Amino acid sequence: MNILKSVIYKREATVSFFLIGIFILVGIVNPDFLTLTSIDLISQNSILYIFLATGMTFVLLTGNIDVSVGGILGLCGAIIATLVRDGANPIFSLLLVLLLGSLFGLINGLGVAIAGIPSIIMTLGTLGILRGMIVVYTGGKWVENLPDYFKNPSSQMLFDALNVYMLITLLIIIPLQIYISKSKRGRYFSAVGDNYNGAVLVGIPVKKITILSFVLSGLFAALAGSVYASQIGFIMNSTGVGIEMIAIASCVLGGVSLSGGIGSVAGASLGAVIMTTITSALVYLKVDASWNNAISGMLLITIVVSDVLIHRYTAERAKKIRLAAHVENMEIGQ
Amino acid sequence: MSNLNINMKNLRRALLSWDTFLLVIILLEVLIFGLINPKFWRIGLLLNSIDDFLIIGVVALSMTFVIITGGIDISAGSMIGLSSVVTGLLWQVYGMNIWLAAFFAILSGILCGMLNGFLVSYLDIQAMVVTLGTSFLFSGIALVLMRFAGVSAYEGISGFPQSFKSLMSGHIIPGLPNSIFILIILVLISLVLLSKSKYGRYVILTGINQNAAIYSGINTRIIKMSAYMLVGMSSAFSGILLSSYLNSSRSDFGAETTLSIITAVVLGGTLITGGKGSVIGTLLATFVLGFMKFGLQMARVPTQYTNIPTGVLLIIASLIGALSGNSYFRSRLKLVFNRPKKSVNNFEKKL
Repeated sequence: MNILKSVIYKREATVSFFLIGIFILVGIVNPDFLTLTSIDLISQNSILYIFLATGMTFVLLTGNIDVSVGGILGLCGAIIATLVRDGANPIFSLLLVLLLGSLFGLINGLGVAIAGIPSIIMTLGTLGILRGMIVVYTGGKWVENLPDYFKNPSSQMLFDALNVYMLITLLIIIPLQIYISKSKRGRYFSAVGDNYNGAVLVGIPVKKITILSFVLSGLFAALAGSVYASQIGFIMNSTGVGIEMIAIASCVLGGVSLSGGIGSVAGASLGAVIMTTITSALVYLKVDASWNNAISGMLLITIVVSDVLIHRYTAERAKKIRLAAHVENMEIGQ
Repeated sequence: MSNLNINMKNLRRALLSWDTFLLVIILLEVLIFGLINPKFWRIGLLLNSIDDFLIIGVVALSMTFVIITGGIDISAGSMIGLSSVVTGLLWQVYGMNIWLAAFFAILSGILCGMLNGFLVSYLDIQAMVVTLGTSFLFSGIALVLMRFAGVSAYEGISGFPQSFKSLMSGHIIPGLPNSIFILIILVLISLVLLSKSKYGRYVILTGINQNAAIYSGINTRIIKMSAYMLVGMSSAFSGILLSSYLNSSRSDFGAETTLSIITAVVLGGTLITGGKGSVIGTLLATFVLGFMKFGLQMARVPTQYTNIPTGVLLIIASLIGALSGNSYFRSRLKLVFNRPKKSVNNFEKKL
């Protein structure tokens, strides 16, 4: 019973129920939504956001924020697309791009952890620089005509149901979730965000962990950029503009606290899936696409507000029960 | 003698202040861009360039208040778009007088700010989360309104009456664009509000120490909410100015201004953690950013590249700010500039 209770109180569970609820409700209106094709489409579209949200989770856990991921995604996407178009080895290009993404993350991390610049300012600055660099790199032109061997894997299916990229995503996400929730070093991220000074006193390498979180965020943004190039097949100057907000929103939906210390990779990934599900559910409900933002925003606010209110209510009730028990004890004592 | 000393100290503090630093940057910009393209030195052209960054300045001034209270509002850009759409729709679809429509747009901005402020201060949800959600919501509502009225989101509404267009393009005094007067009036209002009024002191105290503010009988919830309403109001005003300037209204107006607005406030020396900030600093930073953009355009650098120097400037400025707040770095700096007596030095070594 206790295990059941603790599962229900987990944010990941609430989010999963919510996701299932969306599927059932939309499925009642339009049964096509529950077919394998639609679910597969949603999972394919969500890969990009899952990667971004995963990287972002590490940064948010340490109590920082990274708004430069859209820029890293755009630039790394443009670089890998250009390399592959010009005939470079895709594996080699991918490694190069991942290295570059980590490097950008490292710069962010050094600025935040060593120089002491507030993370939102630092990453806002690098976002501006990266956005400019995309235009410089591409010369303002689209990168297109990518070879098929680069684009095809994105639509390759295993056993007719599982997308290859989704399989890779799961293979990355599940170990990371175990790492962040079970391993000693993985718990450091939450410790730094929960109580910075406490973490310092306990002997956690706080600065290293902060830098590592930004490096991971950059790495995953670069990975997302490569997935974008492969799935969409072209890169524009405006690729990834505003995508950092969707990544942050996914994390918030998935229960990652923006003040640090609370959250998990699984929750953030579920949040990312919900964000894409809403978009495609609207299509199946035949609702005009212009409602997309309004509904996403409304949902985000509703979930966060209800989460805060429920938590406050349960905390207060627990306090009252404790107080009542205390009073009872005193009366017995008399 | 001691009096003179204090005066010298004040002078030195003034010379080393952040505002002076920003002023020097502005002068350097004028000098360098003028050398690249002498047209940049024409006063009339410089004054007209204010039109381009007025909308950022208008919102940045009130954003200073929100950031001083320790919050942030990233939904400002969406509110700009929403107010632009409200103005356009009420005017074109409902046939309302354009000024009455603008009034309702400002009202809608205040309402949006009220929602932000209510969620942040009364429900104690992080400002970043709330305004992230509402930024989706407001831009979504703007888009839905457009669709609802049967207006194409790409084309938007255009063809405003001359009187409305002259809000930005007109000249009350020949040779001086209206935007200067709007900026001066708003700066004066913000200056008085922040530094000379009880309200401004309350805002700053709330940012420095909210509990202390509560214990001294300040209703910090209302203070915080009012700051968000202020941003809502000025974003709406900014949306109206943008509609007048571009002679059209679209839902995606202002979508990219949020980052510039926050950059202007932070570059102006306002602490992102709250408690400290200045209106003059924000104003100067707006000019630094605006002249940078304008100057690069005059030097024939494509507009999209201008993000790079803006980002570099933001990082360098906050690096200097962070390092000057760093005790280790400061002690090093002191050692370089005024070498302490030997005994003090030994004492430090011992420590």
